[in-house]
Amino acid sequence: MQKRGSGKKISEWSQFIADLPTLEGKPEALENTLVLDLSYANFAGIMASSFFAEAGAEVIKVEPAEGDPARVMSPFGMNVKGVGVPFLMESRNKRHITLDLNEERDRENLKQLVVKAQVIIETFPPGELDSLGVGYRQLTELNPGLVYVAITPYGHYTDKAKEFRKMPWADLTSQAESGLPALIGDLADAPEPYNWPTRAGFYAAGYATAVGAATGALVALFYQRLTGEGQMVDIASADAYASCVGFPPTIGYVWKKPRPRYGTLDYGLCPYGFFKCQDGYVAIACFRDQDFRAALKILGLWKLEEDWRSLLDRITDDINKVKELNQKIEETVAGYTYQEIFEKFSAYSVKAARSKWKGGGLPVTTKMLTPKEVLESEHWRVRKSFEAINHPTFGIFTVPLTGKMSRTPLRIKWVSAQIGEDNEYVFKKYGLKKESEDRRGERGEQ
Amino acid sequence: MAADYFSFTQKIFDPGKVQQKAEALKGIRVLDLSHMIFGPVAAKFLAQFGAEVIKVEVPYQGDHWRGATYWGKYWKHSNPLWNFINHSKYFVAIDVKRPKGKDLILKLAEKSDVVIENFTSGTVEAWGIGYTQVRKMNPKVIYAGLSTFGQFGPNRFFPGWDLLAQGASGMLSISGHPETDRYFKIPDFYGDFLPGFFAGMMILFALLHRQRTGEGQYLDVCQAEILMRGLFHFTHQSVAKEELGRTGNIDPTMSPSGIFKTRDQKFVALAIGTDPQFKSLCKAMNRPDLLDGEGMKKAAVRLKPENARRLHDVVKDWVRSQDEKELLEVGRKFAFPLSPVMDDLQICHDPWRRERGSVVLHDDEMYKKLVLSGPMAMLSKTPARIKWLTRPLGYHNRYVFKKILGLSEKQIQDLEKERVVGYWDYRVGQRPPVYYDIERDPIFNYKGGEDH
Repeated sequence: MQKRGSGKKISEWSQFIADLPTLEGKPEALENTLVLDLSYANFAGIMASSFFAEAGAEVIKVEPAEGDPARVMSPFGMNVKGVGVPFLMESRNKRHITLDLNEERDRENLKQLVVKAQVIIETFPPGELDSLGVGYRQLTELNPGLVYVAITPYGHYTDKAKEFRKMPWADLTSQAESGLPALIGDLADAPEPYNWPTRAGFYAAGYATAVGAATGALVALFYQRLTGEGQMVDIASADAYASCVGFPPTIGYVWKKPRPRYGTLDYGLCPYGFFKCQDGYVAIACFRDQDFRAALKILGLWKLEEDWRSLLDRITDDINKVKELNQKIEETVAGYTYQEIFEKFSAYSVKAARSKWKGGGLPVTTKMLTPKEVLESEHWRVRKSFEAINHPTFGIFTVPLTGKMSRTPLRIKWVSAQIGEDNEYVFKKYGLKKESEDRRGERGEQ
Repeated sequence: MAADYFSFTQKIFDPGKVQQKAEALKGIRVLDLSHMIFGPVAAKFLAQFGAEVIKVEVPYQGDHWRGATYWGKYWKHSNPLWNFINHSKYFVAIDVKRPKGKDLILKLAEKSDVVIENFTSGTVEAWGIGYTQVRKMNPKVIYAGLSTFGQFGPNRFFPGWDLLAQGASGMLSISGHPETDRYFKIPDFYGDFLPGFFAGMMILFALLHRQRTGEGQYLDVCQAEILMRGLFHFTHQSVAKEELGRTGNIDPTMSPSGIFKTRDQKFVALAIGTDPQFKSLCKAMNRPDLLDGEGMKKAAVRLKPENARRLHDVVKDWVRSQDEKELLEVGRKFAFPLSPVMDDLQICHDPWRRERGSVVLHDDEMYKKLVLSGPMAMLSKTPARIKWLTRPLGYHNRYVFKKILGLSEKQIQDLEKERVVGYWDYRVGQRPPVYYDIERDPIFNYKGGEDH
């Protein structure tokens, strides 16, 4: 029972949360912030600048006249009017201009922008912009408050960075070098190639690198606003994922051996994963002993309890042992539909939560959804987690958005994705010099 | 390239100078009410850059992750895997379910810039320490509520964590081989760590807004939504009107691409993004013929499913005829993306990472030497750092209650007697290592004065 008066508190909360998603009349966190995105064939850079754009910064993406090769990096080449899916998705609230950094005039234009900018993001081989006279050393002379973000496979310092400076970015190689595929894949006794290291099916390393770059840049921006001092922020994409999750180095040090691939089993817990049921895949995840007991009761497997009672009985270093338990859960779950499991688990959880006996466990579950099913989910529709864009050039498409902040919510204001689409606006606004009038003729050409 | 560029960068990033440099978030106080991984990682990220993070746990129980090591392997009576989730924090243990405990937490919240929690939606409000209560005494507070499904929407009361967020977001369904019925999760709690850093990013947006305007705010940080933000599959679905599905080891945005087995039974990853990279690969494989015909010089053509699969097989055969070492040298020389598939042990002992500071051998006063991950981003003037590893449950009680709340020794002892505040019990993960003399520890027995 809730105490008297707590009802009032909940309603104040309900009122607050009901107003939370509103965008109307709310300011943006990064108003008056100019970010230059020079990333080239590198989605970590492109995504990092998207976060700034969602938070209200003016983000100018600078490309050569033929466009960033990242425009074409798209699942099996799928594109809308020459623009690939990932590039289209990340073109939120950005300005797209073309500069030829091999030309003195455009390097001057870049400097003109840098004087007004707070952040610059670049992904060229280390030293390349420096040799063109527009690297960190030179730009920081022009603008001591500049936050200069560099994203490359091995960073801008150390001997390896120098030796491998020309190595280009790719998500898959970043995943591999960060220890991710080494852990995904079937057990050693499965046939090839199923027991090989396996790729995470999305830009797992690229996303981590982008968040790492944006968070690093924001810390530097916070310091810049306190002291006026800019600095250099260096991200190594071959490493960012490992630094994000943190497990590989400490496991290597304490365990003194690498983890093998564990198939659908888990390194820490059993059962802990998605199990095939009659109409899909359902999560059975037992964290504490009471959650395990609850799951056994619900699934009618109580007879197993004696042998697998405590977490120490279910430690997963003996793979044959946990395979045995896992297989019993697999066989049982296969006999149910998702809805049956969900209802059993929910009913048990509600009962356990109401019970004075604290050892009841909290069995929770969910269904594995495909992206298509996620798009159809009522929950995400209510939360406006996807925005449907109706663009004059690119037609109708859907993009994901998160970042619900009560005062300065992240948002999508427009999509601009054509090469040089904003040349006129940016050149005029910042007083840049044109080669000739026909630069504007490049607009819209693919 | 200017010849001295790398000596310049080596100087400004010198890992030996990290501890002497400024901290960007010094003076920012964070009250970390969270547990497990998602919330604690957001707070750790702020601690790395100098924020004063006070982690609140339940007395005699602690964060469940204190005991959750892999394979039953503890290290000095602690969980070694807890250190990269919670280093450099202050550890206090307060029972929120006792009225005096709730008041203590509210007093700390009143003096904090940021509050982080990751209980199921509505829980902290019911406990009386939610945003609507804290903002009354601290209107400038930035309060981050982290949850799997968010604070509104029909599923808001469903609890969850990494595994469930991966399933609910679509992420789980897109890895692995299309012809199999086995779905592999992304390992190492990616669904907690990545959203944890994303939460850190949202907190920084809020701090920057507050720096300019003085306004605080509430952040509804939704774990599954953050995972969805990283997938291009939704946009693909809306444009292609069909599911992309799983593509095994082929990255469908790069061609050719894959993870391949070498002659000496090692694995390498290769992914070609641009036309010049493809040209270099053809030269390295001595296969100029691949550049002929049907526009194969262009990425858009190479990416077509039939071409992507054909090129994948060509590279597979080439890699099988070479040793790993030769391949890595060829990739470097011809400048196309090729890398080894590295495991835990290789990452731990990688000289490049040690030199860079992204894998750090930390020497701790209580636990001595441990290797743990460094930051994702290296900052030349205000770098991230590890100040200390994790500490036993309630280790900083005296330090925090005296220094920040101004409580006297007598008041603290009374709170201890009433079990409002507390310490560790016998369980591993909570208590100090056996060799450590906790009674002589000046921080645990803090009397006043000095900063720690």
